[in-house]
Amino acid sequence: MTTNSTKLPHVYSPEVQGRRERLGVRLLIVANGSFLAAMMFTWFYLRNLNTNNAWLPKGVHTFSVASGWSAGAGLILAGVLHGIGIQNISLRRLTSKLVLVVLVIGAYLEWHQMAHMPFIAQDADSRPFYNGAYASSWVIMAGTRMFAYLISIFVALGLVIRGYRVTLNPILEEWRQRTAGSWFTWVAIAGFLSAVTISFR
Amino acid sequence: MTTLVHQSEVSSPAPVPAKSLITKLNIVTGFIVGAIFCWGTYYALRAGRDMTDTHNVNKVLIISMFMWSLGFMIGIGALIGPFRWLIGKDLTPEEELYMSGEGQGMKRYFKFCTDHKVVGIQYLVAVMVLLGAGGTMAMMIRTNLARPGSHLVLPQIYNSLVGLHGITMIIAMIIALTGPLGNFILPMMIGARGEAFPRLNAVSFWLLFTAIPVLCSAWFLGGIPTGWSAYAPLSTQAGPGMNAFLVTIIIFAISTAVAGTNITTTVITMRAKGMRFNRVPIFVIGCTISVALAVPAFPTFMAAMVQTGMDRTISTGFFDANVGGTGWLYANLFWIMGHPEVYVILLPGVAALLEMLPVFTRKPLFSFPMAVAGMAGIAGMSALVWAHHMYMSGWMPALNGPFMVTTEFISFPTGLLFLVFVGTLWRSRPWLKFPMLCVYAMMWNLLIGGITGVYVSDVPLDGTLHGSMFVTAHFHYTIMGAALSGAVGAIAYWFPKLSGRMLNERASYISFWFVQIGLNVLFMGMFLVGAEGQARRVANYSEQFAGGNLVSTIGAYSVGVGMLVFLWAIIHSAGKGAIAPANPWGAKTLEWTVPYPAPVENFSEEQVVTSDPYGFGKRVSK
Repeated sequence: MTTNSTKLPHVYSPEVQGRRERLGVRLLIVANGSFLAAMMFTWFYLRNLNTNNAWLPKGVHTFSVASGWSAGAGLILAGVLHGIGIQNISLRRLTSKLVLVVLVIGAYLEWHQMAHMPFIAQDADSRPFYNGAYASSWVIMAGTRMFAYLISIFVALGLVIRGYRVTLNPILEEWRQRTAGSWFTWVAIAGFLSAVTISFR
Repeated sequence: MTTLVHQSEVSSPAPVPAKSLITKLNIVTGFIVGAIFCWGTYYALRAGRDMTDTHNVNKVLIISMFMWSLGFMIGIGALIGPFRWLIGKDLTPEEELYMSGEGQGMKRYFKFCTDHKVVGIQYLVAVMVLLGAGGTMAMMIRTNLARPGSHLVLPQIYNSLVGLHGITMIIAMIIALTGPLGNFILPMMIGARGEAFPRLNAVSFWLLFTAIPVLCSAWFLGGIPTGWSAYAPLSTQAGPGMNAFLVTIIIFAISTAVAGTNITTTVITMRAKGMRFNRVPIFVIGCTISVALAVPAFPTFMAAMVQTGMDRTISTGFFDANVGGTGWLYANLFWIMGHPEVYVILLPGVAALLEMLPVFTRKPLFSFPMAVAGMAGIAGMSALVWAHHMYMSGWMPALNGPFMVTTEFISFPTGLLFLVFVGTLWRSRPWLKFPMLCVYAMMWNLLIGGITGVYVSDVPLDGTLHGSMFVTAHFHYTIMGAALSGAVGAIAYWFPKLSGRMLNERASYISFWFVQIGLNVLFMGMFLVGAEGQARRVANYSEQFAGGNLVSTIGAYSVGVGMLVFLWAIIHSAGKGAIAPANPWGAKTLEWTVPYPAPVENFSEEQVVTSDPYGFGKRVSK
């Protein structure tokens, strides 16, 4: 392998660094997507297999379809709002804060549902258990969504705070907004997919 | 051939950033904070709970183990970067330079260091420790199996030995090349000054580091009675040691995703100017395909472990048929990861040997595109074969045929790789140094592992061989015989770059013959008893298998001796070996242009690549 040599640059340009970070986030999204796909596989596999007719045993209550969508709506709305902020710089500070608020409300809704699950029964030793594969699949899907909320709140909070820091490199920050955009787009898709999935009871 | 030799630079310590927390954090603070988090959580959660309830025990243990990992990462300073990003006060250039460990000597190996070369050495030590531990357990297993009715270890301990040997070796082999060489050498090979995400890179190593004590804790919690596959519902009913297993896997899956992201991004975005994809060294391509395959594969195993953990702690029923679950769900999720994982292990080893083959034959690589197509084909098809592990489980018998066909189709891309090896060797006069011997060993072992793989992928034959020692011998030929030979050859080949010294040749040759003869004796014996029907993962066996097992155990001791000699060669040569020339093999790849010790940013000048790395001359017309 032959080489020519030129002077080494000391720092990478914001564009180079920004593209690199965006690719990295997209690869992490692939990993997260694989996890979500495993959860969806779990849902549909157990539902269709219906072992011992215990996907939804008789008398077990479920969440309404609307409640599944309402818990996922925060992720979808955050993705839309962040997209508006990317397109319109003058609205960005406002949309950043709205994204954060929406995510916090969504996380609260998710937590509230998880705290009031209607399908927990008690075994002979008075120990609670998740009655039916629907219940098991629902709680892990909710946990997956909660994880997405927590990561997204971290990112959104960071973007809000960084929006007020004038010392940061504006070009690199613009790239980071777009990189965060990749994440928020993904969580919107993930929120939609999880809501669709749990609509199949 | 270009061998640019720079003068070694004597680096001076980076200025210590004033009032920065990162200067005070290291592995000791990591252990302290980790222990506080772990034991604090343990005692806090125990209070007021009925600890005779296994679900409560599992809850307390799992949360405490995760808190250990989190505490360690906080204590070593891994979360300073994300926290500073959150509050909008990014790390200063002085702090970044300090974290790169420049001029900090041995101390940097015990800190959260972002220099990819330091992380590479950290991974190398971790791999050696894991292989040593896994190998010791293998010797105990083989000693127990030397004679029928031997009660060297109790059956329960034997079960745990098998499980812990399996998972320890799997983790060690997954990181065996992409960890040390994917970090140390790969960025230099592409002419990069570093890696795309140096902090994430260090996070990936230290996460793995935190998983090791967790895995070891399984011994003190009753062991892992399930084998490394941890099939449900056995795993959901196993004792507290199982918690250590699942926490290890979850941490390792995160570490792997982060490492895969870092290496893939580095290769895609940081190649030197002029390094088009057809000029990228084949080892870099093999590593990239391997880690990129791991990124989507491991989260499915992680998902299965999360579900196992939930079944064990909060009484969900993913794998409990009474409440609508099924063990088939686990088997699917596990093997969707499990078969790609074989190629995550194998491809870097094969690629490393392909990398050194032109160097030792002084010929261009025979059909670079074919080699890339072979590796990409294997990676792509590996996602379509998982259910061949489940023929005998009764899951979807109608799919057995299609999965048999897809599995046997993997022979085609594998055949392409063999063609490249044979084509490059054809009419060459190889320079028979130790790494080159590893090429021959890998070809022999992979051939046997591959052909027997066709046997066990065949549905009717699998009905007889499934769950037997035959299968154990098959995958050991592939993973140990082929991938480990590749890893050993690669470590030897790049040893001068890692240590600045040559690996002791005599010890290497002695090690080679002990290991290669030993492993063939070991696994041929296993093939024999397996074909006769000896079940795997069983502590005792019938008298009729005595001969084959004794032969296998003798082979295992030979492997053990050989590996000890190789370990001695590495440790001795790193300290007292002959000083290595800048480019001892006369290779043409860029890493050999970097001086030893390599500067923090590898190259003092930007590299512009103008030719391919295997241009060792063309055939001279007669």
